[in-house]
Amino acid sequence: MNAPRRSRFGATVVAVALLAGAALVGIDAAPAAAKVAKCPLGALAQAKKPVEITFWHSMPAANEETLKRVTDQFNSSQSAVKVTLVNQITYEDTLTKYRAGLGTGDLPDLVQMATTTALQQMVDTQSIVPAAACAKADNYNFSDHLTRVVDNLKLGGTLIAMPFNVSNPVFLYNKKAFAAAGLDPDKPPATFAEVKAAAQRLRDTHVVAKAPFGLKSAPSNLEQWLAKDGQLFVNNSNGRAKRATKVVFDTATGRKIFSWMADMVRSNLAIVNSDQGASVYDNLFGIGNGNLAMTLDTSATLGTITQVLASGQYPNVELGVGPMFSLRGGGGTAVGGGALFISNKSSPAKQAAAWRYAKFLNEPETQAEWAAGTGYIPIRKSATKLPAVQDLWARVPGYKVAYDQVVGGPNTPATAGAVIGDYFGVREVMRNAEQSMFTGGASPAKALATAAKEANRVIAEYNKRIGA
Amino acid sequence: MSADRAVRLTLRYLVLTLLALIVLFPIYVTVVNSLLPGADITARPPKLFPSNPQWHAYADAWSDGHLGTYLKNSVIVTAFIMAGQLLFSILAGYAFAFLEFPFKRTLFVVFLATLMVPLEVTFVANLTTVTDLGLYDTYAGLAIPFLATGFGAFLMRQAFLQVPRDLHDAARLDGYGHLRFLSRVAVPLARPAVGALAVFSFLSAWSQYLWPLVVTKDDRLRTVQIGLKQLRNTNIDHVNVTFAGVVIAALPLVVLLLIFQKQLVRGLSAGAVKG
Repeated sequence: MNAPRRSRFGATVVAVALLAGAALVGIDAAPAAAKVAKCPLGALAQAKKPVEITFWHSMPAANEETLKRVTDQFNSSQSAVKVTLVNQITYEDTLTKYRAGLGTGDLPDLVQMATTTALQQMVDTQSIVPAAACAKADNYNFSDHLTRVVDNLKLGGTLIAMPFNVSNPVFLYNKKAFAAAGLDPDKPPATFAEVKAAAQRLRDTHVVAKAPFGLKSAPSNLEQWLAKDGQLFVNNSNGRAKRATKVVFDTATGRKIFSWMADMVRSNLAIVNSDQGASVYDNLFGIGNGNLAMTLDTSATLGTITQVLASGQYPNVELGVGPMFSLRGGGGTAVGGGALFISNKSSPAKQAAAWRYAKFLNEPETQAEWAAGTGYIPIRKSATKLPAVQDLWARVPGYKVAYDQVVGGPNTPATAGAVIGDYFGVREVMRNAEQSMFTGGASPAKALATAAKEANRVIAEYNKRIGA
Repeated sequence: MSADRAVRLTLRYLVLTLLALIVLFPIYVTVVNSLLPGADITARPPKLFPSNPQWHAYADAWSDGHLGTYLKNSVIVTAFIMAGQLLFSILAGYAFAFLEFPFKRTLFVVFLATLMVPLEVTFVANLTTVTDLGLYDTYAGLAIPFLATGFGAFLMRQAFLQVPRDLHDAARLDGYGHLRFLSRVAVPLARPAVGALAVFSFLSAWSQYLWPLVVTKDDRLRTVQIGLKQLRNTNIDHVNVTFAGVVIAALPLVVLLLIFQKQLVRGLSAGAVKG
């Protein structure tokens, strides 16, 4: 097990080194969004056609096929803009390569990044045209978009990036196991207490072989459950009103969340699996072979689950999908996924071309095809009326649960999710905190307090590095 | 042969066979999974023999992962890095073992100190240098930062120190210059170390991921590890293609190990027995 740890260490070192390097090549303190940014839409009309632009994305093979298909449609539907796709493999690698590109000059005209982890850093590079500037210049209207998806991409009230691919966590369970334990298979538990009661029931009736609940030691557990409870993760309205300077999760709610996880594991009602590497599917396979009966996972896995179940290897499983449960139930999950950033290092014509392509990816028809091909949530209300999405929801009803979670739920800074410069660094801290609690024997309160201290250090270091 | 010895020999072979099976099993599973229809990979109990081998997975991996281009690039870059590391390590190791020059010890410590600096630390500096030299998105940019290693110089110095001093003196008396002594006497005697260094530099160059990803512009010059990661898939019915890609990317490694097997084993057991 030496290699992965080394490479993670390596990745951290690279991230730090690149940040240091990026600081040298031009990241400084001034909040980019605050500057009056221009979006040179008129440049496209005067430019020699076609204007060729490069789009960096991070989609794995199956989703890449869908992306290629819609991009081909775009390229052949008009002659002003020609898009070339370059796969930069993962969100993390794309961000690394983008930051390196600030020094070498090799940058894309449009780039897809993870919204949660990249939003603040992309602003800090001062290398992007806020989508709000283009929307304003183009009189573009977001009324058909899901409001929370759009608000998720705003910093200080300014829309930074164009929305594109959205997913969020859902509760997955085996209806047959629920029925066998005498639980109502059509009523998934909605609160911590209900999940624990269901778990106890599943264990007492010996329906599961190992443990009722499969938990990932994922940093996002705390982020999501705080959001569901209307609580912030970092200060300054989750870093959206102003740059975040410290975490604010070391509270009664935070401790309840950590205690619930620890309690579930210590009373053998839950087992923990890593959220990285090959073990990300362990909880799902655990449900498949009867070791487990419930778990939380991203809605993006529903396609794979449906395919595997359709092969008929798991006659004892009937998939149930429920909204993500939480401390008190209700509330909304933070929106996850990726968004499109336009580079201001490109020529005006290319910036305008990138905007046009980003708009195309937001068209209801494109979104419907994209959702059907990938399992991401359609981000346009009108897209859900189209046959592609209707078919998808009929085939895999779980997708609608994920969509409803984004449409419903309160729209607050808490549900918009946190914005942090070194999000990867903070997540590493949270991962370690959970592990110290699950395997190191640390008390939930201590693990949480240590995590808060460490996370504050990571945030302060980043802010200091960029001079904020 | 006594009965006692036969029993002991049988036991020894049994243990070795068992250990070999344990080592080979993951490789076997990788090959089997590459031939299973995607959905069968998740079957319980796991299928350990492909009843309906899906050979097309290899063709898919080849085209989806751009493995034709990427393997070619990897072979070129790896060959350059390997040749460079061997050349510079042998020359530097020779100097430290046989020559006298000012600050020899200090310089050697400086060489060793580079072992403490992980590649990641020099990443940005290397990238800036390579870009400034106009080598961004070229084979040279992919290979040049890795042509010399402190580890190689250290390994070769240690190997050359094993060469008896008398041989050096005798060769000098016979009129051998440094280069001739190096190529005719020192390197042949240090063959196990050279073989080990060759395999080691191949492995590290072949498995590079982040540097080739960052220093290249697009698919044209990317190397095989990037292709492998490109093959990762969300659709379970295509997972066998990912496995097939892994098998293809590992083949050159197997070939290399077969070529250098003798040297490696000798390198490992060198010094274990007096001979």
